[in-house]
Amino acid sequence: MSKKEIDMLSVLQSKFEGTSVQVRPEQLGKAEVIADASTHRDVLKAMLEADEKTAVIAITGIDLGATIGVFYHIRTSETGIITIKVEVPKEEPQIKTITDLMPGATFDEMEVNDLLGVVFEGNPSLGRLVLPDNWPDGVYPLRKDAKLDNLQFKPTPPSEPEPAGNENIVKVIVGPQHPALLEPEKFVLKVEGEIVKDVEPRIGYVHRGIEKATESRTYLQDVYLVERICGICNACHASCFVETVEKILKTEVPPRAKYIRTVLLELNRLHSHLLTLGHAGLEIGFETLFQYFWRDREPIMDITEIISGNRVISSGMTVGGVRRDINEADIPKIKGRLTDLKKKLPFYKNVYEDEPSIKMRMKNVGTLKREDALKLCIVGPTARGSGVDIDVRKDEPYEAYGEIPFKLITYNEGDTWARMNVRMDEVEESINIIEYALDNLPAGPFRVRVPRVVIAGEAVSRVEAPRGELFYYLKSNGTAYPERVKVRTPTFANIPAFLATAIGSSIADVPPNFVSLDPCFSCTDR
Amino acid sequence: MLDFWLFFRVLVFPGFTFILFLTLFCDWVERKIEARMQSRVGPAIAGPAGILQPLADFIKLLTKEEIIPRDAKKNVFRIAPLVAFSVMVFAICFLPIDGSSAISSSGFVGDLIVVMALVTVANFLLFMSGWASANPYGDIGAARVLTQFLGYDIPLFLLALTPAFLAGSLTISIIAANQYLPFIILAPWGFVLFIVALQAELEKDPFDIPHADSEVVGGLETEYCGGKLAFLHLTRDVQIVLGAALVVELFLGGPYGPVFFGLPAFWYSLWFVLKLLVVVMITEYVTCLFARMRIDQVLTANWRVLLPLSVLSLVLTVAMATYVYPMVV
Repeated sequence: MSKKEIDMLSVLQSKFEGTSVQVRPEQLGKAEVIADASTHRDVLKAMLEADEKTAVIAITGIDLGATIGVFYHIRTSETGIITIKVEVPKEEPQIKTITDLMPGATFDEMEVNDLLGVVFEGNPSLGRLVLPDNWPDGVYPLRKDAKLDNLQFKPTPPSEPEPAGNENIVKVIVGPQHPALLEPEKFVLKVEGEIVKDVEPRIGYVHRGIEKATESRTYLQDVYLVERICGICNACHASCFVETVEKILKTEVPPRAKYIRTVLLELNRLHSHLLTLGHAGLEIGFETLFQYFWRDREPIMDITEIISGNRVISSGMTVGGVRRDINEADIPKIKGRLTDLKKKLPFYKNVYEDEPSIKMRMKNVGTLKREDALKLCIVGPTARGSGVDIDVRKDEPYEAYGEIPFKLITYNEGDTWARMNVRMDEVEESINIIEYALDNLPAGPFRVRVPRVVIAGEAVSRVEAPRGELFYYLKSNGTAYPERVKVRTPTFANIPAFLATAIGSSIADVPPNFVSLDPCFSCTDR
Repeated sequence: MLDFWLFFRVLVFPGFTFILFLTLFCDWVERKIEARMQSRVGPAIAGPAGILQPLADFIKLLTKEEIIPRDAKKNVFRIAPLVAFSVMVFAICFLPIDGSSAISSSGFVGDLIVVMALVTVANFLLFMSGWASANPYGDIGAARVLTQFLGYDIPLFLLALTPAFLAGSLTISIIAANQYLPFIILAPWGFVLFIVALQAELEKDPFDIPHADSEVVGGLETEYCGGKLAFLHLTRDVQIVLGAALVVELFLGGPYGPVFFGLPAFWYSLWFVLKLLVVVMITEYVTCLFARMRIDQVLTANWRVLLPLSVLSLVLTVAMATYVYPMVV
């Protein structure tokens, strides 16, 4: 695949010159495109034709007073994020679906429908996604005028009798409580013998309304709130959020802070990858592997403790820099632990690459082809396992990643084995990144003072979390409280990959396939 | 007097009580080995080095509330675990532990076949217990027990015939007594294959498919609780003892050992238990080294690899016993 430069902006500008569609460069990421409900599909089509890696990152629904804004955040391989802005009337919010062009946007559309009541014409699966089934009709929590006191919940409907169908099909319910899932979410597998015929997902069991909650807290409080969206990738959430604020404030973060943030982000990645690599062992009945990986995860938590004082949630990020400096005396300690871990990696790599029973259970399981991965907007190690070379750290370097050399890992097999080996290789790269960052830690201040009140504006930001691309959209209104915070987490984008690959596989292949996405449902539901 | 000794032998030593405590001890050994291999501590609280932990677990389960699902076939659900346990213990009673078995002093012709048949019956009872619980996980787990059983039953039986040919008898006590040189030395191929088939019979990794918790939660145990669950667990542990004891009798020379003086029953039992522990260690070692296979992979492996190999092993054994060993031994 040749890296040809695609100048998406000039493509769009030439194509839509003289029409009602306006292309505004350097607004909200790389560009924003102002379209309306009749033209947004044409813009997306033009982008898809120009670049195969075009994918919908997220759809933000936002209450703009008289209208509801539907913002399509589109990722392009060369240009970065382009946002298509559409407004629909509040009384009758209707817009055509884009799921026929981009099947990966199904969940995004469902979420906007659920929380803001925008109807996407032509999307077959609109229904409850994150809100509970007994949530009252016509109450849309993310609208500013939503009356959330005294909610009249609908009575829970009596469980319907099973429609008479194929006698041989057994419903195996995975979740909300199930040994294969660490967090509550439900997947109904329709099984005939040992073969999965269909999967029905139901997410939203841990929906806490964090996006809504951010609107009633100050920016500083929000840093700690978003950090708690996900335990493992806490630093990713916090840094992604503070980046959006810094973009609005146009704050220049001191270089030392950038390096310390990079270290914390990579520690997140190490923690998460080691955890998943071990957990995958548990899912395929390889308990020894699980115990070994989790033993070697401990030093990573120790390092996080040395740097931040906490073992899991580091609380290191703040708007304008980091909260704590790294003590020079601690650096040899940190590097010593990393060296110890690095010595063990060849053994683990060998196990994951060559151990026969792992190969039996992971090779050709849940194979996701490259075209499908692109169409379903898959992100992170899952996409890289299918040969899609996307990594925000390379595509749009943030923090110190532009200055640190590291390899982008891709595998072309697209199966569970490839996805796990992507993570295995990334563990080593992460250690190298941390060592480089510690060796080249710039001197100087580690934070700058920023105002508590943020000027009106909007910004988007992306961070490569351990599970894939994490996306934040922030709109400020000139007060100390944000107007709208939109979070799109990587698992939310990756669940379609599981739904697509599980059908037709053996029931025994479901857990390894699922764990290879490294699902995080607290992230997904927010 | 005769009646008293028969009761003593069946109920206390080497019968029920001895087997029960041996089972709990083997469970502890297993858990300890597995823990050490996975750099954990394992049971450590109850008793010295946690040796009483299996007993504590058993008693704890006995005190728990018993719940029977509304749709379950209640009688089968209640009885199957107990009967499966009894059948397993009954099968062990045929094995010579202290020189002779619990039931009779010298066994009878064909008691090897009886033991293998009892194993089959016990597995079928386990299947029934899962099937009766009216739970999709139980159903799938039970179906997996039976499917897997179809795969390894025939190879296991064929491989058990290997020592029978070498000893020229189908009586376990004669097979054990005839091993001046243990059959592991005369027919190592048979031993290795038997361990592989046994691993499947004991439902241990890489063949622990019927209770793959990430796929079928508890498998056939899903709906069980309290005393019935305790007995299902105990059945599994007795099964391990039975399997290991069969290996000891068929390949490791039974209860006979090199050091022997004074009280025969003591030395016989000691050698028997020591050999048993070696076998438990081997199976536990294999368990720790592998991931779980898929049911279709197990069946393919059993029918395409294990079955032809066990036939080959039998042919090789017969040829060796006829032409080679008479010249050497």
